[in-house]
Formats: sequence, structure tokens, C-alpha cells
Amino acid sequence: MSSLSARQDRIRAFTLLSPAYLWLTVAVFLPLSAMVFFSFLSDVPFGDREWHGTLENYQEFFQTSTYATLLWKSLKLGLMVTGISVLIGFPCAYVLAKVIKGRSREALFLLVILPFWSNSLVRIFSWAIVLRGNGVLDFAANAVLPWDVRINLMFSPTAIVIGLVHSYLPYVILTSYLALQAIDDSLIEAARSLGAKRRTILTRLILPLAAPGILAGAVLIFVPVVGSFMEPRLLGGRRGTYYGTVIEDQFVAVFNWPLGAALSFILLAVVLVILGAFSPILRRART
Amino acid sequence: MSNRLLAHLGKAYLGLILFFLYAPILVMAAMSFNASEFYQLPFSFSTEWYERLWKNDEILEAAWRSVWIAVVVTVIATSLGTAASIALFRYEFPGKTVLQLLLFPPIAIPWLITGTAMLIFFFGIGLDRGTPAVIIGHAALALPYVIVVVTARLATFDRTLEEAARSLGASAWKVTMAVTVPWILPGIIAGGLFAFAVSFDQFVVSYFLSEPGDSTLPVLIYTSIRKGFTPEINAVSTIIIAVSMGIMLLAARYSNFGGEQ
Amino acid sequence: MGEVRVEHLVKTYGPARALDDVSLTFPDGGFFGLLGPSGSGKTTLLRAIAGFVAPDTGRVIIGGDPVENVPVEKREIGMVFQNYALFPNMTVAENVGFGLEVRKVPGADRARRVAEALELVQLGHLGARKPHQLSGGQRQRVAMARAIVTQPRVLLLDEPLSALDKALRVDMQIELKRIQREIGITTIFVTHDQEEALTLSDRIGILKDGRLVRHGPPRAVYDDPQDAFTARFLGEANLFSGTPEAGGLRLADGALIAGCTSSTAAVRPENIAITLQEPEAPNRLQANLVQQVFGGAMGTCILDWQGESLKVIGRDQDMQGLPEQGPVWLSWDSAKTIALNG
Repeated sequence: MSSLSARQDRIRAFTLLSPAYLWLTVAVFLPLSAMVFFSFLSDVPFGDREWHGTLENYQEFFQTSTYATLLWKSLKLGLMVTGISVLIGFPCAYVLAKVIKGRSREALFLLVILPFWSNSLVRIFSWAIVLRGNGVLDFAANAVLPWDVRINLMFSPTAIVIGLVHSYLPYVILTSYLALQAIDDSLIEAARSLGAKRRTILTRLILPLAAPGILAGAVLIFVPVVGSFMEPRLLGGRRGTYYGTVIEDQFVAVFNWPLGAALSFILLAVVLVILGAFSPILRRART
Repeated sequence: MSNRLLAHLGKAYLGLILFFLYAPILVMAAMSFNASEFYQLPFSFSTEWYERLWKNDEILEAAWRSVWIAVVVTVIATSLGTAASIALFRYEFPGKTVLQLLLFPPIAIPWLITGTAMLIFFFGIGLDRGTPAVIIGHAALALPYVIVVVTARLATFDRTLEEAARSLGASAWKVTMAVTVPWILPGIIAGGLFAFAVSFDQFVVSYFLSEPGDSTLPVLIYTSIRKGFTPEINAVSTIIIAVSMGIMLLAARYSNFGGEQ
Repeated sequence: MGEVRVEHLVKTYGPARALDDVSLTFPDGGFFGLLGPSGSGKTTLLRAIAGFVAPDTGRVIIGGDPVENVPVEKREIGMVFQNYALFPNMTVAENVGFGLEVRKVPGADRARRVAEALELVQLGHLGARKPHQLSGGQRQRVAMARAIVTQPRVLLLDEPLSALDKALRVDMQIELKRIQREIGITTIFVTHDQEEALTLSDRIGILKDGRLVRHGPPRAVYDDPQDAFTARFLGEANLFSGTPEAGGLRLADGALIAGCTSSTAAVRPENIAITLQEPEAPNRLQANLVQQVFGGAMGTCILDWQGESLKVIGRDQDMQGLPEQGPVWLSWDSAKTIALNG
């Protein structure tokens, strides 16, 4: 009797779930598998092109140092952007969660998070206007400073870092804020009643308790930054060659798809290793 | 005292962060009303660039395409996502955790990887670059967001309401439409707004999947920027950012995103 | 150790007065219970002593030192919070040792004192556990050990037992009292549970709307509450109003409460006897039995007298002869009449 209703339930669950997961399979999981397949081909298997299975694409990555160097460059960029975002973002989250009280907190939090959900391409473009020579920053600096300065940060690694921090900073603020909000104020009061000073409370209580949130934010920033290509292109110009831009080139300029697929897959492997290593923390931070 | 001083410093710091986040956007918006083509200061007000925008068929077409793609994506992602959320909430079955975990790759994997993989696969099965490919890709990216938002709303739903309705003789379908869906409606609306934003603001996946000359607005902007800045891009970017922030403010109203959790 | 004193404390939140000119002395080594309905200011008073609330005016003196301008962390207090506020990232021993750690007590000494404190609360074997692995009662004990291990001058308890279920609460009351006696620390605790206050405290203070209404030893306050609010808040009371005359208080139905000189009198429900026949006692009146409530060893009768509801509590065996409903006689000893002001 119960097995009948259990079977009915299973049929209903299947009916409700299959459209969404079919869609995800066709649009995400099969393409990712196809990418792996392509990365072992000598040429694209379309039309009457000649192709065969090969390891050449991976050999190219491991034999020439070009791609590995660029991947390392991208990883370093990821570390830098993540580090700066955490250093800037955590105090901001702390102020929001523990200093500001009442209704204004919600509004301010929304204001901090809002840019994150707006168009990232346009935000990067807006930095281009600010940072370019004869741009707004240049003009403002000359208006304030008594001596003549030339500020042209455009097309420099600094510009790329600024743009990326601007893009992803709200992420770490969001996750840290949620973690800090979960810390009951009475814990801080208890520590004070036991004689702890501000610094002790920060290092022994708040940082350990907020660590999962901070780490989750860090991972969520690091991963997309390593795979970024639009930001280095727009803000870095000729000096903006990173691992992501090389992948982009394989697909839109050089049309060496198998190499692009191999490079993408290597990046995916790196990303999955990082996500896997941190998944217990990410899962804990979500709840 | 020192506590109060610290609180003031904290607020000043928050102000600085907000300045960092909003200043470039405001500068861009201001420049779109500046008469000088080369962003020269001092500022002199002009709506010339918006007028030109209105006459630029390429941009108008791309904008229109972006909007209707986003609407189609919203409808697909919201209906599929809501159905999946209800099933994940209501039923227990083997493999449920795996299904929940599968929602994260589309969110967590860099769009560069997802986008190029889609390009390869769609090309392989004979679906060329173009609007259908863009819609399939966008909907897949938006789906997990919808499921996450609707599931969050469902978590506040009292299961006994469904049981009560069923004990009164309502069928499963009737229960869903009369009890469950009305309760999670704010979540569905918020999820739909997220889906719209994911599609409307999507650049990376569109970039790889759309046909040159037949692209969405963000792709058109990217290619124009790489050719050189024009105040027209400023103007259209200002409009885009206003629209996407407006949508997210609406979404915030419907989900308690940002509220006390 | 030492006496705690507050003088003319005032704290306002906007137009609301959380504390309205409160002056009170908490004797050295005593167990002082602060009672009052929610919003009465009892928690504000406790937090003002702790230092979490800065009073607008008035003084707080701990062990002879004025501390209004001393921050919480330098006041040498021990506090137990309503939700215990155990640090979830630390073990039980680390929690208890935290106060010693910030005071830079050397490791060996610290370990010894932590062990002693845990022994005192009978949790010597649980030092390595994390708070989430403990039961509610155990958490309560850890919170106690953590608060006293630094040998503070005063121990502040904010509704320390309210999160426990009833059976455990009674055990913990005894336990709390034992620990407090053993170390002889001045203790101030806030509760909304009057029974708990009467059991634990050797002095109580009752607050209402930010004002201290009444204070003294529990029995003295209970037996002579002096005003209607205290009479009803601390224990239960049947109130009778009438006109005072030469022989006593004349009530509306003509009955006389002998010897009572004020216009309002209170009688505790447990001091009233119910009989079917008219009794000999000097204080008697006739009322209508409305309902009997069985409560095990003790029973409760709800009665109607002149449109007002009265309550009588007695041993179940004394009530078995009574009808379900109908007219009965109430009587009590003159010594049990409580004259109230106003």
C-alpha cells in the first residue's frame, strides 16, 4: 500500500525534475564532456576535415612554458585580487553586521551588494573612463594637487586588479556578513565580561567563527578571477594577456578549438580541485 | 569615547567602500551627459549621445534582442526551476543530494569554460551560433539561481499546510496550485528577476554563442569598446546599469535577500 | 568580593524610562534576586552593573570602587547569559580558561584552576568536549564555571535557568545555591520566575516600570507585600476592597475583615479554608464555587464573589467533600489578612 504511493511520489518527482535537469544536461554537462573529447583531437571533426585522437594539445601545454606561465600569472592575479578583496571587504562586513544597528543596516547592505548584481562588463568599462590618461582621475588629481601629475593607470596590471576587485569585492562582503551576523552578540558580551580586550575578541572569537564565511567568499572570488578574460582585455590592453585571454583567442581569433578545449579543461581541473578542497567549508558557509 | 570613535571610523570606512563601488558608475553616467566627445572636462550638459543612441539601429536592435532573449529565458528558467524546487522540497528519493550538488557547477565554473564548452557542443550537434544557442545557454545558467531562490522561500513553507489540504480531499495538483505556489510566489518572482538579470547582463556566454552582427547588447558593447570609446557606449551602458540595478532592487523586495536570515 | 551598590540610576531610551531613580544595595556574599514583569527594567539594571548599559545618571559601586567609567572588561565581574553564550569554537576547558588566558595566568596554574572550577560544577570529565556536544544542564554548569573561575567581585546571572525544562531547572536551582554558598560570592540574578526567586535568594527586589517597588528578604516581602502589585506579582492574592471602620474592613456584601485598617486587604489562596457550613472564624464570607481544578496533591477552586473571581488552593483531600458548584463559605485566620496601602 505504501509502496504504491511511494512509486507515485517517485513518478511525480521525476516529472517535475526531468525538464530542468535535462536542460542542464544538454546545456552544461554534455558540453563539458564534449570539451574533454575535443581536447584529445587533432582538428575539429566538422565537414571533411581530417582528424585523429592525439595528446598533442596537452603536450603543447606541458612542453612549452608559455601556457603554464600564463596559468601561473592568472593564479597569481587570482590570489592578489582575492587577498585585497578579503582585506578590504571583511572590515566592511564587520561594520555592517556589528556596528550599524537598526533599519539602515539592511539598506546599506543592499547598497553594497547591488553593484555585484549589475552588469559587470559595464562596470569594467566605467573604470576605463576613470583610469585613462586625461581621464577623470587625472583631472581630479590635478585639481587637488598643487603640482602637475600625469596619472594614466589604463592598460596596466594595476588597472586590471582595481577592476577585478571592484567586480568581486561584494562577494566576500556578502559571505562574511552572513557569517558575522550568525555570531550572537552575547558571545562578544561574554568575552568582554571575562576581561577580553577588542583585539583578543577579534582574534580568538570573531575571526575563527567567521572563517568559513571568509574562506567561502575567497574561493568564490578566486575561481572566476583565474578564468577572467574580459577584464584583462579591456583594462590591460596589450599587457593584458592572461590564461583566460589565450583561451578566448583559440575560439574567436586563432580557431584552434582542440587546443582551446585542452586549455579550458586544464583550467576546469584546477577549478574543480580548488572547489573540491574547499567544498566542506563552502557547504558549511551556506547553512 | 573610544568605542564611539571606532563606530564613526567604521561608518566612514563603509562610506569609502561605497564610494569605491559607485564612483566609477556615477562618473560614467555623468560623462554620458557631457558634450565633449573625448570626455573632456569641464562638464557641459548635453543629451546628444542619447539622441544619437535613438538613431543607432545597430544598438537598438541589439537592445531589443537582449530584452526578448531575457524574457524567454526568464519564462523557461522560472517554470522549470520552480517545478524542480517543489520536487526537491517535497519528495524524498535516492540521489537527491547528487541532484542538489549538480546545481553548483553552472554557478561555480567560470563562464569562460562553460561558454566555450557550449560553443563546441552546439557546433558539434549542428546548432550554429545564434539566438537559439544563446537562449539555451542563458536558461541553463539562470536555472540554478531560480532553484536556489525558490528553495530558500520553500524552506519557510509549513509542510502541514499541504497535508491539511490533502486531508481535505484536494489532489496533488490542486494542492500545488492552491496552497504551495501562492506561498512561494514571492520566491518565484524574485527567482524570475534573477533569471532576467543573469540573461540581460550575461556577456561571456553570449560572446561565444552569438553570431557576429546578430549579437546581444553586452557583446556589441564589448566589440565597440575594443574599437575605441565613444560617448554613445557611455549612454547605453548607463541605461543598462540603471535597468539591471532596478531589477535587482525589485528582486530584493521579493526575496528577503539582505534581510535578517 | 564585595558589596555592590547602585545609587539613583536613571536610564532612558527615547521617552521610555528603563530605569527610574533606582537605588539599591546588594550585600556582600548575598544572593539577590531581581524580579519583575518584562519591561520592568530588571535586565537593564543587571546590564548597567555589568557595564553593557551606560546609565544617564547615577552611580554603580562595586566593592567600594565607583565603576561608571570603567569598561566591562575591567570591572572584574562574572556573568552567566540567558543562552549561556559558550564560545562554539572552543572546548569546555578553553571556554572556562578564557578569562584566565586574557589575564595571562600561566599555563599550569590556569589548567589547575580550570580543573577546580569544572570539579566544582561536577563536570571534571568533560573538559575536552565542544559546547554543542553538551546537554542544556551541562552548558549551564560550564557557563557558571567560566564566570567564577576568575574569582570576580560579583556574579551576575541573566535568567540563567530559563532555557531548561522544569525538572532540570529545580535540580539546577539547588546546584546554583550550593555553588554560590561554597564560594561565597556576591550574586545578583534576574528572573521572571517568582518561585525561582523565592527559592534561591536571600534578598529580592521587585521592579515595575523602571522603579524599585519593594525589596527585602523573600519571606518578609511575601508576607507583607504592602501594595497590590507586589502582592499579586509575588505569589497569588485575592484582593478585597471596602470601607475601613472601627472593627475592620467592611466589604460590599456586609462581611467584615476584622482588624484591617486600610481600604484594601489581600489574602493568599493557600490561607483560605472552604466549608459548606458557616464557620466560626472572624473573617468569613459567602461565595459561589464555580470550578474545581484537580492538580494532584493540591487542588484549586475558582469562586465568584460579588462578580469578582477568587482563588483558593488547598489539599485535595480537604476539597473532596465539596460540590462541583454552588454556594460555599470562605474563612481565614486574622493573622493571614494582609493590609495593603492605597
